[in-house]
Amino acid sequence: MSRLELYSPEGLRVDGRRWNELRRFDCKINTHPAFDGSSYVEQGNSKVICMVRGPMEPPMRSQVNQTQAVIEMNLNIASFSTLQRRKRSKNDKRMIEMKTTLERTFEQSVMSHLYPRTLIEVNVQVLAQDGAVLATMTNAITLALIDAGVAMYDYVSAVSVGIHDQTPLLDLNVLEENDMSCLTIGVVGKSEKLAMLLLEDKMPLDKLENALAVAIAGGHRIRDLMDDEVRSHGNQRVSKLTS
Amino acid sequence: MLLSPAERSYIYDSLCQKDPIRPDGRTPLQFRPLEATTDFLPGSNGSARIRIADGSECIVSVKSKVVLSEKEANLIEWDVDVSGYRDDSNFVSNLKFSLTDLYMKNFPCEKLKLTAKYSYKLFLDCIIVSHSSYPLTLATMASYLALKSTRLPLLVSEVDDSQVEEQPTFSDDWEKAQYLAEFFKTESFSPPLYITVGIVGENVFVDPSETEEQVLENGLLIGYSEKKCIAPITNLNLATNSNNSNFKGFTPALLISTVDLLKGHLSSIVDALDTLDKQDKEDRTQSIF
Repeated sequence: MSRLELYSPEGLRVDGRRWNELRRFDCKINTHPAFDGSSYVEQGNSKVICMVRGPMEPPMRSQVNQTQAVIEMNLNIASFSTLQRRKRSKNDKRMIEMKTTLERTFEQSVMSHLYPRTLIEVNVQVLAQDGAVLATMTNAITLALIDAGVAMYDYVSAVSVGIHDQTPLLDLNVLEENDMSCLTIGVVGKSEKLAMLLLEDKMPLDKLENALAVAIAGGHRIRDLMDDEVRSHGNQRVSKLTS
Repeated sequence: MLLSPAERSYIYDSLCQKDPIRPDGRTPLQFRPLEATTDFLPGSNGSARIRIADGSECIVSVKSKVVLSEKEANLIEWDVDVSGYRDDSNFVSNLKFSLTDLYMKNFPCEKLKLTAKYSYKLFLDCIIVSHSSYPLTLATMASYLALKSTRLPLLVSEVDDSQVEEQPTFSDDWEKAQYLAEFFKTESFSPPLYITVGIVGENVFVDPSETEEQVLENGLLIGYSEKKCIAPITNLNLATNSNNSNFKGFTPALLISTVDLLKGHLSSIVDALDTLDKQDKEDRTQSIF
């Protein structure tokens, strides 16, 4: 059992949130003008930069797909991102799993049939980890792809949810994540469709529906926050064009 | 980006003449404009991000750890990560070696001593997010700023623990943490920098851009700290992704005149970095953008 009281009888979590509250969510797009699309997302203390190049001609013939775009993910988790410095290799099992999960998610969410024989290169750089890294990465990639002007069916907004005793807790931080089973989902737009679901440990089946409902509601909230940023950035650009 | 023979010859000729003209209109000793932020990573002791107009970007974090002095050979450890390059590639290992070499020779490691038995070990992690020209100047400038913004917790236990079996304890109050300059008890703490210099004919150019790198006759990497040019000074081919057909040797006299020339000019870059560091300390936003 954990030393910390993760959920107090009054209904407060370690960082003072209630069960259905998100952490501070801050995002920016078009942060790196040298790339086709870029974004920066902070979820709590997790910080992720994402940069997208493409759709472009693939440098290698082996990467050409005649019917749709190929999405290449490069994940890089900085060795200083955790409290204890730890060097992570690119062939780490967890890294490969996250990479394939993200590749599959975005192959479905991007209208890749519109870009045959092209490559979309996505570079993700994790600067700080404070729980829900996969969710933060997913949100950053969504924003960067939107910034790059890649056609997508809708936003993919991701959030994590955990089960503590009987209550589902939304958007876990690193302390909570270490002590309870949690899953990460990616919601498509304002629908209840899921583009991604990753559960790395066990969760009781009868609690699952409840947890998913909380997570989907959180995902919709994150989608709104991302949409606000995209629209305000768009307006800013239009005002520069007209003046 | 590869240049055609015609472009190459045009740029070479304009750099070679008596009053050289650089493709981006800079004077020979002028750096490209840069933008930087410091102290944005709450999990690191110090951090900095620096970028220049062509999209090159570098992030450096400084983390510290208390170690037993006698068990550690080096009190400073570099790690370099360049996007698009494997960690064991020649390019990355060369960068890492150059940085380690510079810091081994010019960083006051002995001042990292905490007590008789223990000392701090600094881990410098450098991520080169994107680069077009040779990235070492950028990396050392970022680490300059990161080290300037580095704070270490205040020691509250005894300094002399040679007779007693005790581990160092620190103040819980982060407001009492000391900047490296205070910890070293020096007025002017100035980490070393690398300056890249390109040579064409009799002319030298600091901070050559990607296009210039491809026509250079030779490249120099010069250490710089506290108004002096310092060791290591090396020469290398700065163009990493093309076979530089102009590449040839240079006269020793040119090296001496270059070092003399730089001595007077480079203090302005350190002043600029110091001003930036001071401004960032005054309004600490903790945000990277």
